Amino acid sequence: MRNRREILAAAAVGIATPSLLRRAWAQQDAIEIGSLVSLSGTFANIGEQVDIGSKIAIDHYKTAAGRPLRYVQLDDQGDPGRAVRLTQDAIRDRGIRFFMNCTNSAIALAVAKEVASSGGVYINQAGADEMTGTLCNKNTFRWPVATYSAVNTTVRPFMKQFPDAKKWYTITGQYVFGDSLLKNLKDVLGELGGQHVGNSYHSLSDREYSGFITAAIAAQPDVLCICNFGSQTTDVLRQAVSFGMKRNTKIVVVWSTGLDQFQSLGPDICEGVYFGANYWHGVDAPGNRLLTGVIKDKLKVTPSYLLTAGWACTQATVEALNKAGSAEVPAVIKAFETLSYEGPTGLEKVRAEDHQVLKDYYLLLGKPKAKMLDKDDYVDVISAQKAFLPPDKTGCKL
Amino acid sequence: MTTEGLRFPNGTTVVIAVFLIALPCILPSLTLASEILVLATGALSCTLLLGSVGLLSFGQGLYFGLGAYVSAILIRDFEMSALAATIAASLAGCLLAAAAGLLIVRRQGVYFVMLTLAFAQMGFFLALAFPRLTGGENGFGNVPRTAIAFGQFALSNPLLLYVFLAILSFAAFALVQRIVASPFGSVLNSIRYNESRSEALGYDARRFKLAAVTMAGGIAALAGAMNTLMLNFVPLSAIDVETSERLLIASLIGGVGSPLGALIGASVLSAMSDFLSPIWPRWSMVVALLLIVTVLFLRDGLLGLGGVLRRQGKEMPNG
Repeated sequence: MRNRREILAAAAVGIATPSLLRRAWAQQDAIEIGSLVSLSGTFANIGEQVDIGSKIAIDHYKTAAGRPLRYVQLDDQGDPGRAVRLTQDAIRDRGIRFFMNCTNSAIALAVAKEVASSGGVYINQAGADEMTGTLCNKNTFRWPVATYSAVNTTVRPFMKQFPDAKKWYTITGQYVFGDSLLKNLKDVLGELGGQHVGNSYHSLSDREYSGFITAAIAAQPDVLCICNFGSQTTDVLRQAVSFGMKRNTKIVVVWSTGLDQFQSLGPDICEGVYFGANYWHGVDAPGNRLLTGVIKDKLKVTPSYLLTAGWACTQATVEALNKAGSAEVPAVIKAFETLSYEGPTGLEKVRAEDHQVLKDYYLLLGKPKAKMLDKDDYVDVISAQKAFLPPDKTGCKL
Repeated sequence: MTTEGLRFPNGTTVVIAVFLIALPCILPSLTLASEILVLATGALSCTLLLGSVGLLSFGQGLYFGLGAYVSAILIRDFEMSALAATIAASLAGCLLAAAAGLLIVRRQGVYFVMLTLAFAQMGFFLALAFPRLTGGENGFGNVPRTAIAFGQFALSNPLLLYVFLAILSFAAFALVQRIVASPFGSVLNSIRYNESRSEALGYDARRFKLAAVTMAGGIAALAGAMNTLMLNFVPLSAIDVETSERLLIASLIGGVGSPLGALIGASVLSAMSDFLSPIWPRWSMVVALLLIVTVLFLRDGLLGLGGVLRRQGKEMPNG
């Protein structure tokens, strides 16, 4: 007869075995990819969409470098400190080497540093220029374009179309991203003979912009240019339109999040407004056809920028892993640096010098409600261009 | 916080020491344990103010943020050791708190609270307005993992980092216990009970309150410096009003009757955020509920839960 100790020991082994097996399988077989998403906190609405996009991509691709993929969700709660802590845990306790996504630049910059010091690979959607500029590193890649690209691919084609629209007034978020947009805009205006007649700064916490808009009206500009992001863009635009600015001023939103923003604004506000965007679902490209097909099949919705951003970072990671043929970090970084693939915006290439994904940025024009072909057909694509700072001017030293 | 029958060191000192030693063994992650230490030390500054002098501060995040930025700048740009940077950050917190305190302690009640909130907001916008110094909303990055002192004991070892943070945290807890058990602490306590009567006895309440605000500022700044050591980075959120709220909530949930309350509150809050968020994204509602329950039914926080249960047990009829 077995004694009580033996029975207890056997029971303990029995209880522990599944978790040990799980861990062993996780470490030896599947490639785990940590996804930094804010599912609670201020940025939960962004994080949820990015999370869904990435999950669907993992579900679609299933394997990379001949091994199954496993999605590891890391809820940073919108807090860069927590994001760093979760990354440290994932690296130390689970041995995760591949990371993706972020809901704001502060999170991405902090995580990038942590992943680099631990020898991992990270691709994100940060808007901050520093990501592929002064704070770039060997282990980090960025999918969306920098502010230089956003301004140059929207303002140049706009000014070409309206050479008489010389006087520009800007409403700018007083934070690093807004300032970067403003600086680039001033450079382009200076080069093309435009005139910057005034600027109103608003803070990160502002929600009411009527004072800024009346100042803009008083300056009698030809163009009102909005240089901020997220819900503040939506609020500024909505209030500018309600003040009647569309009647005798053209409005350019340099950085928009596309469909979800248009849905929240509605077609009446979007009509006649020019938007810059990283993604538009109507673009005819093989990678976009795949993405829209999968998203419509799984979610019965049209992909928004946020869903796409989650998908795009996952796709790039999968493509790099496949190209490397292994999950060894140096091999994957090398593969990333020469990567070229059919992404959501067409042919997307990674630039080795600063780890920026070279992709199209779109200038979109809001169309009248009567001309919308379906409920998500808010805009026409006016131009799709690539414009990136030369590598030696980004400040990135890898 | 009461000073009756309090000595230093006492049983609570031992419990705190044991708690700090046991924390990394109980929790699944060292970084979570480190986060608890940071939050507990920050919450301790609220506990000191509210528990000893009865001052409700919504602005401790200002000193927390200052400590975080000062230590980060000293480590990154002046290559200071962790210990020196931490001490300098705490002193900076004391200085700022003393300067702000000169104005704040002139007012009482809701006006005091609003002034602390206003200073906290001002700190946030200053951090945002000087991105070259603070990194703005991108945060202050590239802070290296330095050594503790004299180039010895590099903090790249997570266990060593925890030990160092635990020592700093224990020092802060011991200091607060010592203050509370001192004659100075007795005066603070008398001000909390009846400020007018304390002044009638000859104590200058403003000076005593200023001293308490200064010390609490130094402790919050210490927590900020610990946060920098843990993250090698200072997010803008380190100085926002939400940080002030979090420190205050941790101290209220744990209970302001003893420094131990800050440790308990911080542990509960951090553990809830870690364990509940993967299960339910709206987990903060649970924190709100816990805060409501604490304020309504547990005036001494979770620390007083045992007492409440004992009292209820005695009140229940036999059989």
